[in-house]
Amino acid sequence: MADRAAPDFRGLAVRGLVIAPGASAITQTIAPGEIVGLAGLDGHGQELFLKMLAGLTSPLGGSIELGASGASRKITGFRKAVASGIAYLPRDRRANGIFPTQSVLDNFAVSTLSRDTRLCLISPAARKARYDLYREKLSIVAPRPDAPITTLSGGNQQKVLLARALALEPAILLLNDPTRGVDVATRHVLYDVFRGLAADGMGLVILSSEIEEILLLCQRVLVFRENEVAAEISGEAMTTDSVISAMFGHAA
Amino acid sequence: MSPLTRLLSLGRSVGFAVVLLAVLFAVNLILRPARFQPGSWGALIGLAAPLIGAAIASTPVILAGRGGIDISVGPLMGFVNAVVIQMFFLKAGISSPLLLVPAALLIGALVGAANGFLATVVRIQPIVATLGTYLILTGVTLTILPAPIGPAPAWLKALAGPWSMLPLLLMFLAWWLVRRLPYYDQLMAVGSDDRAAYTAGVDVTRVRFIAYVMTGILGGCAGLMLTALIGSADPNIGPTYTLIAIAAVALGGVSLAGGRGGVAGAAIGAIDIFLLQSVLTTFNVSTFVLQIAYGGILVLAVMLTALQERLAVRGR
Repeated sequence: MADRAAPDFRGLAVRGLVIAPGASAITQTIAPGEIVGLAGLDGHGQELFLKMLAGLTSPLGGSIELGASGASRKITGFRKAVASGIAYLPRDRRANGIFPTQSVLDNFAVSTLSRDTRLCLISPAARKARYDLYREKLSIVAPRPDAPITTLSGGNQQKVLLARALALEPAILLLNDPTRGVDVATRHVLYDVFRGLAADGMGLVILSSEIEEILLLCQRVLVFRENEVAAEISGEAMTTDSVISAMFGHAA
Repeated sequence: MSPLTRLLSLGRSVGFAVVLLAVLFAVNLILRPARFQPGSWGALIGLAAPLIGAAIASTPVILAGRGGIDISVGPLMGFVNAVVIQMFFLKAGISSPLLLVPAALLIGALVGAANGFLATVVRIQPIVATLGTYLILTGVTLTILPAPIGPAPAWLKALAGPWSMLPLLLMFLAWWLVRRLPYYDQLMAVGSDDRAAYTAGVDVTRVRFIAYVMTGILGGCAGLMLTALIGSADPNIGPTYTLIAIAAVALGGVSLAGGRGGVAGAAIGAIDIFLLQSVLTTFNVSTFVLQIAYGGILVLAVMLTALQERLAVRGR
């Protein structure tokens, strides 16, 4: 999936990023094939950080660059981020994700409409074929692609949104609490998908409110406290206890 | 989607309007068999055409959602009517459709762009922005043309009867093409939920702006249809179409919240209103009663649409 970006992609470089007044700067790199977790008590800056990576919120200082073989691209806005190969899956599915009056197919295709055109006109067959590819990959359970998206279960709605983001063929995928309100079976399907994407060379950043999920998926976790990265934990040191104590500001 | 299921889903979205259409048509047939014999359907369509055109024109901005509405469609029709007849035909002597039609559509596009600029770039509430345009256009029309004047070019007058199908068909054809453009999906996405559309990478401002321009162009076309019907220029008729057109759109199952419905529903809603007008005039009621009936039907239609949506949500 990240074939297009894989050979020249060197990662997402965050330099001196300030997310709140007075907070110390964050410098990080997200390498291809890596799954990085973001943890922290709600409102301690992890969501702000993710939105800045997506270009949805402008940072107070520092820069975000997507490294490529030729020149690295500075992320200055949301549209620039999408064009550079950063896809973002929003947190609140109902408020920021789905189009309740539209069909599953329309919900899937909205970010990548121009890819189905033949002589400027949309080819329903091409769109359906593209959707089927992702339906199989993500095992989306939907009666018919032209059914309203609201007839799907929460987990399947989330899969459709993930398919929408993946259709952009991003180099970096930013996930804002992707398994919120999703049943356990679907969660494990999603985990497998995420691991597969990373194995294909995509860089993933996952914000999760559940520590178990981060421990299960991520190679390292950034724990946020008061709009700063309070701790960066990886490998063996990454346990429920160490993450929780970092979240509450105790030395790990 | 097979044609049958597509027809069924259309029926569901405009259900009430279609039932009303059948009922009103039957009532008209019984009350006025002479007027509604098949031979005179062409003339009837000619009478209804400007309202159908106005309803179709009002649809795109309403589909774009978040209070999108263009109440200047009626005055725009009157303005196009006045400019085409008074300034182009009578004063400048231009009568060729090859010049007048593009001129009318261009006027519409410019007015639509002005509305779009105010509503999407300056971000004035659409109803206030287009109220401004409504008043300006009404005033300018009366300045150009203080009193009714005629005639219209012969080709335009010929579009009054059965031939009024031609501009209507062109409007439907244009919309059918728009439906197959990537733009249409963006329009419906923006109307459905603009925050989600933004997060999905849709340029919300651009999509809404284009919707206003489309409404303007279709409004220019409706202005020509009005000119064809009255065969002259009249500064006072245009503005009367605005609110009835919006009533027709609501009646036709287009959600005023955006993202639901289409021009077919709007056209059916307009025909409903025309037939209702026809029934009531049989009883020789005054135009005041007509107004009351429009109001009553509009409230009923919006209530039924809301009820239908609520039932649909519960059905899941």
